[in-house]
Order: sequence, then C-alpha cells, then structure tokens
Amino acid sequence: MPAELSERLQASDAALAARVACGDPSALSPLYERHRGGVYRFALLWSGSAAIAADVTQDVFVHLLTRAEDYDAARGPLKPWLLGIARNFVHKRAGADARYVANDDDVEPEAPDLASPEAGIDAQRDLARLRAAIAALPPHYRDVLVLVELGERSYAEAAAICGCELNTVRSRLSRARALIARWLDVESDTTGLARG
Amino acid sequence: MQNRPDAELDRQFAALKESVADAMPPEATDRAVATAIARAQRSPRRKARPPGDRWLAWPLALAASIAVLSLIVRSLPPEAVVAEPTARAAGSDDFVPVVPIADIERAGDTLVVPAKLPRTTLAQLGLPINPARAADTIDTELLVRRDGAVLAVRFVY
Repeated sequence: MPAELSERLQASDAALAARVACGDPSALSPLYERHRGGVYRFALLWSGSAAIAADVTQDVFVHLLTRAEDYDAARGPLKPWLLGIARNFVHKRAGADARYVANDDDVEPEAPDLASPEAGIDAQRDLARLRAAIAALPPHYRDVLVLVELGERSYAEAAAICGCELNTVRSRLSRARALIARWLDVESDTTGLARG
Repeated sequence: MQNRPDAELDRQFAALKESVADAMPPEATDRAVATAIARAQRSPRRKARPPGDRWLAWPLALAASIAVLSLIVRSLPPEAVVAEPTARAAGSDDFVPVVPIADIERAGDTLVVPAKLPRTTLAQLGLPINPARAADTIDTELLVRRDGAVLAVRFVY
C-alpha cells in the first residue's frame, strides 16, 4: 500500500468530518483550507458583498465545527452540504427567508435599477450591471443561477442543496437567465447603453 | 423588446466567474476560524459516558462489523471483486479508513469490492451516518486486503 494512498485515506472529507464529529477540532483545519474558497465565492456571488461572504464563510465552518454530526456522508459529498449551509446563512444575512419563496415562481419580480456610472470601461460596467441584475433576482432564482451557472455545480447537486426537484432547478435557471437577459436589454434600451 | 442572445449572456457570466475565480476569504476570517478551532480544542465537547457494563460495546461492535464484512468479501465470487488499478487508487481521496492507517500502509495489494451495506453497519464502523435513516442500505465500495480484511469504505453516490 503506497504511503500516499494511506495519507489520502486519512484526509478524505468524510473521514475528517467524522473526526470533527467525534471531538477532534483540529480536523477542521484541512477541511477549511480545502473548501473555504468555494464557500466564500458562492456567498460572494450570491450576495455581491465581500463582507457578507466573509461572515457566511466563518458561520459555515463554525457550524461544521459544532454540528459535524449532522453531516451524513452516505447521502453525498461534503462540499454540497457545506454550500447548503452557506445558502441558509446567506439567505439569513441578506434578510431573505427561503421558506416564503417556495411557490412563487409565477410572481414577476421587480426590474432592478441598472443605472451605472458613465465613467469606466465597458467590461467593468457590464460586470456591475450583471451583479446588480443578479442581486435583484428572487432568492430561489439566485440560488440556482449562482450554483449551476456560476458555480458549475450539477443540476442534481443544486437540487439537493436547494431541497427541490431537478425539474424545478431547470425551470428556475431558465427563468433566471431570461429575467437577467430581459433586464439588461431593458436597461440598455432606456439608457442608450445598448450595443447594436 | 428583444432578449440579448444567449451567447452574449454566457460571455457576461464567464466574465463574472473569471472576476471571482481567485477570491478567497480575508485573513480575518481565517483567524476567526482558527480561533474557534483553538477554543474548541481547549474545551472539548462532553461526551455522554457509557454505562459501566457497556464500555466495551462499541469496540466490540466495530470489531464484529469488520469481521462480518471480511467474511462477506471472502464469500464473494471472484467476478464480483474488482482489482483497483494502482493509479486510480493513488488518486482516490474519498475512501474512509475503518482500520488504523498503519494497518493500511502494511496492507500491500488491495482490491475494491462493491457492496450494499446497512447504515447500522457503517455506523458501527464509526462513519458519520444519520441515525434517522438507520434502516436504509447504502451502495458502497470496500477497499480490502488480499486476505479479505476490510480497510476502508467509499460511498457510491
């Protein structure tokens, strides 16, 4: 048995999470090193705020430290579980309660104000407007857009993280893309920033 | 009103992803998590003390589970046992050891055996399992020694 494999066995996510659950807090350090970037970027893309993303990242790993026994390794890998925790925390931080949006897919969200500074290069302006559009999405649309479109998680993972059906993820992603495309074009039409 | 073409939207999403590709939490967050870990190490959570006549129950259950798994593996037909290619094994980091790492290092050649196991068996092996679903069975792959001793478990999702 190569020593490298035995080291990897010892360092698997499930093994480290089990050690944390059994009262070995030091096992959290490698998990934090491994997953802090993914959790932080999810919260950053979702909230648009570096401060909220930092707070959520801290909350997620302190939660893992104190509630590691809640993670069931047989139900899936650790990273989607962490993103699910991050989703709950970022919803709370943003003042959005995920429960109230469960059945409001037919409600038309209000179009955001996408006015951007006149100064600045096109790329920066586009990013600022896209961030504003994402921030205006209802939380349940933002979840799937950030997870699937920006976070490159699979539909199945996003469904598990959001606690909804696979087809719901598909439809919400489609609706989120359509809303953003429409909002960007609406704004372009009304501010004269349209290209072509 | 005409929607921006998908390609243009994809370009903007790609630019947004690129803009945060290297984003990491600030050092203050790293320090806060390190402090939480240090605090937890200083004041470990109290575990319920098992009754005096049952203090050997879990070690015995663990030993029994490993023995049962080993018997199952030994009784499998040869075609059910898959030799784990060395390269793949070296790249696998999702197996969870169920014996001391030193035993795994001494194991020599290993095999991977697919198996459906009850959650109770996995719990007895010390793996993190939700007790509310203890009756379920789970698809796993077992890393076993040539003599059938089970070394590690991998969940098949």
